[in-house]
Amino acid sequence: RVKPNSEEEINKLQLLETLEHLQLDFWLHPSNPALPVDIRVPFPSLQPVKVFLESHHIEYSILLEDLQVEKSTSLMERGTSNFNYGAYHPLESIYAALDDLAAEYPSLVSKQEIGESYEKRPMYILKFSTGGTSRSAIWLDAGIHSREWITQATALWTAQKIASEYGNNPSVTSLLNRMDIFLLVVTNPDGYAFTHTNNRMWRKTRSKNSGSLCVGVDPNRNWDAGFGGPGASTNPCSESYHGPSANSEVEVKNVVNFIKSHGKIKAFLTLHSYSQLLLFPFGYKCTNPADYNELDTVGKAAASALASLYGTTYKVGTICSTIYQASGGSIDWSYDYGIKYSFAFELRDTGRYGFLLPASQIIPTAEETWLGLLKIMEHVRDNQS
Amino acid sequence: MQRRSAARLSPLLLLLLLLLPLAWGAGPWPPRADRELQVSSRLAGQAARVALHYLNYRLGSPSALRALGQVRKATVKPIPGIGHKYYLQFTTEDYKSSQNVGTCLATVLYLKRKPRPAVNINCTYTKDQKQTREDDYSFYKKLRQQTKPITGNDTPDSYGHIEPALEPAWALAVAGSSYLMWEKSTENLGYFMAQVKNVKQWITKDDSIDFDYLVILHEIPTQEMISCHLRVIWTPGHPLKVKYFCLSENQRSESGEGSGTESGSTNGIFNEEEANF
Repeated sequence: RVKPNSEEEINKLQLLETLEHLQLDFWLHPSNPALPVDIRVPFPSLQPVKVFLESHHIEYSILLEDLQVEKSTSLMERGTSNFNYGAYHPLESIYAALDDLAAEYPSLVSKQEIGESYEKRPMYILKFSTGGTSRSAIWLDAGIHSREWITQATALWTAQKIASEYGNNPSVTSLLNRMDIFLLVVTNPDGYAFTHTNNRMWRKTRSKNSGSLCVGVDPNRNWDAGFGGPGASTNPCSESYHGPSANSEVEVKNVVNFIKSHGKIKAFLTLHSYSQLLLFPFGYKCTNPADYNELDTVGKAAASALASLYGTTYKVGTICSTIYQASGGSIDWSYDYGIKYSFAFELRDTGRYGFLLPASQIIPTAEETWLGLLKIMEHVRDNQS
Repeated sequence: MQRRSAARLSPLLLLLLLLLPLAWGAGPWPPRADRELQVSSRLAGQAARVALHYLNYRLGSPSALRALGQVRKATVKPIPGIGHKYYLQFTTEDYKSSQNVGTCLATVLYLKRKPRPAVNINCTYTKDQKQTREDDYSFYKKLRQQTKPITGNDTPDSYGHIEPALEPAWALAVAGSSYLMWEKSTENLGYFMAQVKNVKQWITKDDSIDFDYLVILHEIPTQEMISCHLRVIWTPGHPLKVKYFCLSENQRSESGEGSGTESGSTNGIFNEEEANF
């Protein structure tokens, strides 16, 4: 994109247009200094065009580095239903995509409501099942902290991936022939809506706190695991406010109820961002879980698989030793409840963009995370009791 | 020219990396009664980041900003009555490109009394320094040439996008925020620059580049988002001048001012080509 600032620069660009040997393709033609000029430049002409623009001090920027890459990526991103998995979407669009997936893979995917949020938004899970009765299952959730946009986006891509891999990938096929998968893409829909309308950095739920002007509870300090202990705040205005009591947040309660009534959940996996970590219990206390060795081994294998794609490095360890002591967290609850394979991912990046991870990183993040998730799920499949 | 020096670099780089642990051992390596930290531990990473905040501020170069790569070694030594001193070895990445740009040795002393951590840091730098000086200068020229002051909001925006025209201002905000984050960091509280909420350039009559920012910092482990007003005055090759004023939830406000004369040290950067081993 060229930004001409004067009539003189317009004239120069018009001159450029006449140089046929450069084979320049003007998508927007030079006419008025107030308007940008977009040019597709074939690779051999790149150097002379840059030199021309720079020597005449004409401002330009590169919109698309490589059109071929752009085109093939775009096709990959959209899947068959033309939904762009490589972009961030508002809640309504995500919910529409869930319906589309269920419609596209009716014998595998179904949508269920597990309850409503504080502001009465439905909480939908996708169930991936090839039949059977009361099969063991794997639980995966994302977006419990609404500002962590990469997690909802990754979960949605993962849903599409699971659906399309069944029947094509032997490992996924054998997994789904034996177990079900439940996927909650938006665990905190009120918070997510708020990050679109009001405050991109909103983390908590949107519940009113009695006696305070401050809104919201940190849903990942609200679980019944060391509730109210260190690493959670008693101040309603705090980002890590644990709430008046364990499971006070309806969003948390809905998940707990589902897990308990299902009765055969064998793995509880949750997505957060950022920091590039793969964590297992405990967070509420700084002692190792009984299954430390196994969880550490599986975690390291998963991190290794994840890194194999783009070299993204993850650290593996307990919440307390790797991140910080934090009470009332979801995977501590699930582990103490009896779900041995409880893991939390902190996705990309390590702080450059933080919560504002560019959309161009959605697909790569989802692709690499998938390898880590699959590693864990395979282990669960092969070791479930 | 770049390629030739890269070929020459390799044996020297190898030699340097081999000698680093020796320098480490011979130098101020802490004696016993110290705790070796897991390199994956939060405290080690946090201390390394503090050292980098200090480095980024002192260098005052938007083209040479660095981010933390991997912590290779970390030890903490308690100094009774004073505080905790961290000894660190870590790799660094170019802030923009994420390419590895060298290794640092640093000490970070968290004092019980004074708020600001005392940092000593020495780094190798594999990027061409002449190139970064030139990049800084073209940044500077572009900003000096503004007749209309640069203004902007939400950089990056909600979708992680940084408007190309705002990149230089954003890079300067990172450099300026580094001072702020270094000042605010404690052994238990760490910071990341989450977003530039607002940027406004002041066109000056002198040589300097002058920006007013509203930045949002992400505080760990509290998860709070802290708003700070930041004033950054930059002339390439001179220490960065930074003034700040932060607001927090509890209405505690903190302010500070930096002009490159603070205590702490960095022996500058030495390029492999220049090192004589």
